[in-house]
Amino acid sequence: MGGAPEETIVKFEDIKKSYMIGAQEVPVLKGVSLSVEKGEFVGIMGVSGSGKSTMLNILGLLDVPTGGRYILNGRLVENLSDDELAELRNISIGFIFQSFNLFPHLSVEQNIEVPMVYGEIPSRKRREIAKSLAERVGLGHRLKHKPSELSGGECQRIAIARALGNNPAFLLADEPTGNLDEKTSHEILELFHELHARNQMTLVMVTHNILLEKDFDRVIYLRDGRLSSKDEFRGSGG
Amino acid sequence: MFVHDLFKLSFHNLLLHKIRSFLTSLGIIFGVGSVISMLAISEGAKRQALSQIEALGIDKIIVYSKPVPQVGKDVSDSSTQSFLESYGLLRKDLGHIKDMDNVATVTTLRNTRKKILRGTKQLDVILVSTSTTFLQDSGSDITNGRWLSPADEAHSAAVCVIGRNVKRKLFFLGEAVLGGRVKVGNAVFKVVGIMENNLGTQFPELNSPNDMIVIPESTSNAFFGFSSFQSEGRRRFQTTYVEADLFIVKVRELEYIDDTARRIVSFLEKSHSRDKDWGVTVPLDLLKQREQTQNIFTIVMSSIAGISLIVGGVGIMNIMLANVYERRKEIGTRRALGAKKKDILFQFLIETVFLTTLGGMLGIVLGIGISEVVTKYAAWPTIYSVWSIAISLFIACFVGIVFGTYPAWKAAQQNPIDVLRSE
Repeated sequence: MGGAPEETIVKFEDIKKSYMIGAQEVPVLKGVSLSVEKGEFVGIMGVSGSGKSTMLNILGLLDVPTGGRYILNGRLVENLSDDELAELRNISIGFIFQSFNLFPHLSVEQNIEVPMVYGEIPSRKRREIAKSLAERVGLGHRLKHKPSELSGGECQRIAIARALGNNPAFLLADEPTGNLDEKTSHEILELFHELHARNQMTLVMVTHNILLEKDFDRVIYLRDGRLSSKDEFRGSGG
Repeated sequence: MFVHDLFKLSFHNLLLHKIRSFLTSLGIIFGVGSVISMLAISEGAKRQALSQIEALGIDKIIVYSKPVPQVGKDVSDSSTQSFLESYGLLRKDLGHIKDMDNVATVTTLRNTRKKILRGTKQLDVILVSTSTTFLQDSGSDITNGRWLSPADEAHSAAVCVIGRNVKRKLFFLGEAVLGGRVKVGNAVFKVVGIMENNLGTQFPELNSPNDMIVIPESTSNAFFGFSSFQSEGRRRFQTTYVEADLFIVKVRELEYIDDTARRIVSFLEKSHSRDKDWGVTVPLDLLKQREQTQNIFTIVMSSIAGISLIVGGVGIMNIMLANVYERRKEIGTRRALGAKKKDILFQFLIETVFLTTLGGMLGIVLGIGISEVVTKYAAWPTIYSVWSIAISLFIACFVGIVFGTYPAWKAAQQNPIDVLRSE
């Protein structure tokens, strides 16, 4: 956060989400309001069933809320078409997945290029950006390799490089260290901290790993579809 | 997403599974192969039939004498049994037909019905008399020497032109043919030319020009009289009397050829009311009939090819659906990274169309191969055109679009949440 002038990247105003199961409406998010400022490193924590995944999907524009307002980077995300949502995901959000989700048949370079391909960036420019991003995550020498030739940690670094391709408003990471051992997890977190500190990257990380609490500027606890305090969260055994 | 990136992606995915892609497109390969070879074979058969019919000339009406199955008139006396059989076109018919509107020329052909012997063996060759227009009207050519001239006709010259096959049957290899002699009964004719018919012309009740010995009409009249007589046996005489065997009627206006033919038919029906000892064919009608039969044949063959293409297409759809299911995670990830539904749709659709088009190309190669084999071993002519190749490629492409749309749509409808959650 520091002393930089604040600029809200993500703003949830009383976000609600419920699913229809048969004829019955099952609320999953029961009115969540929060905001993430530019340059913040925010953790979202919650046990399974707390509405964490739903929140992630709404944050990532993969799903739309049934109530409330979502303002992304100053833009109200409402009544957008499927194509508009895809476009917004492409330019505003950098996704990082637990199991990396790299394309196994593409080289490192081509993997990093994928979001830029959908963003219609010309191929020469794409290659330049991919190269510099690979260098930034310390894998500039692996450009022509296939993901199967890399270690788990290296794969996640590539995935992070991929997420940065279109210079998104924020990175949205879903348990990014869930599939990694302790040492590698630490290295990946280091990389996040570096991006955060050096590039004022806004980061939102969804996790249930309580040990990561100390890594975040701020933690949002989610319990039973509502925000809760740290103590309450602890008390519930989260 | 740029179009070229889309194409690159789809092509890349195909090459990932070369064997699977090949096996998947086998149905299309065989389907297109059969389309190509079917078109080539039927086109070849059509051309062959057409050239045979065209050889007779589409602006002609063929009127011919037809023997009537009957016991000849009994003219026996006590010592011998004699039958007189008389049938066919008459000289007065010729006069009548010549006078009709729209008739340009009539070439008459008469089989002299003389036996042609080599030693004691009777040859399958006929001696006919005709006018000088016959060569052209029968679509024949002179390969050696000359054709009968008006002077031959005027002087009843004892000359003949022999068909290609006659030459082989009457003369030894290396023997001088031109200037050689052909003896028929007491008459001797000098060979002045060799005639060849490469169009496969075959006159009703007569042979091909290749099997004819042709003499001028006046010569025939001078040697053998105005009619054809043929006698058989010693005690039992069978006499055949025919005035004319064939009229090649050339019309002025092709448009009215059917009218003219009908008038000839109704005239002959009246004047030959006793027996139907004549026939009329219009090559143009034959041509139309042949085309119709050909079209039916083509439709049947196309249906078979069509069915194999459908089977191939369904096979591809099946594999692509499995493919979509298998690649759920890829699709979900792409959607999360910013792929629009249409990007996914086109990715899979183009992949399918690539598959069927490549299959189509292999099918074309296969089809041309089959055609060549058919031509070589079955001696059927085959003709494949740029047109048939283009249409096959188009069909292959079309099959890809038809059977690729559903799997591609399915892929595009994939909800990314489901995929990303099921980790």
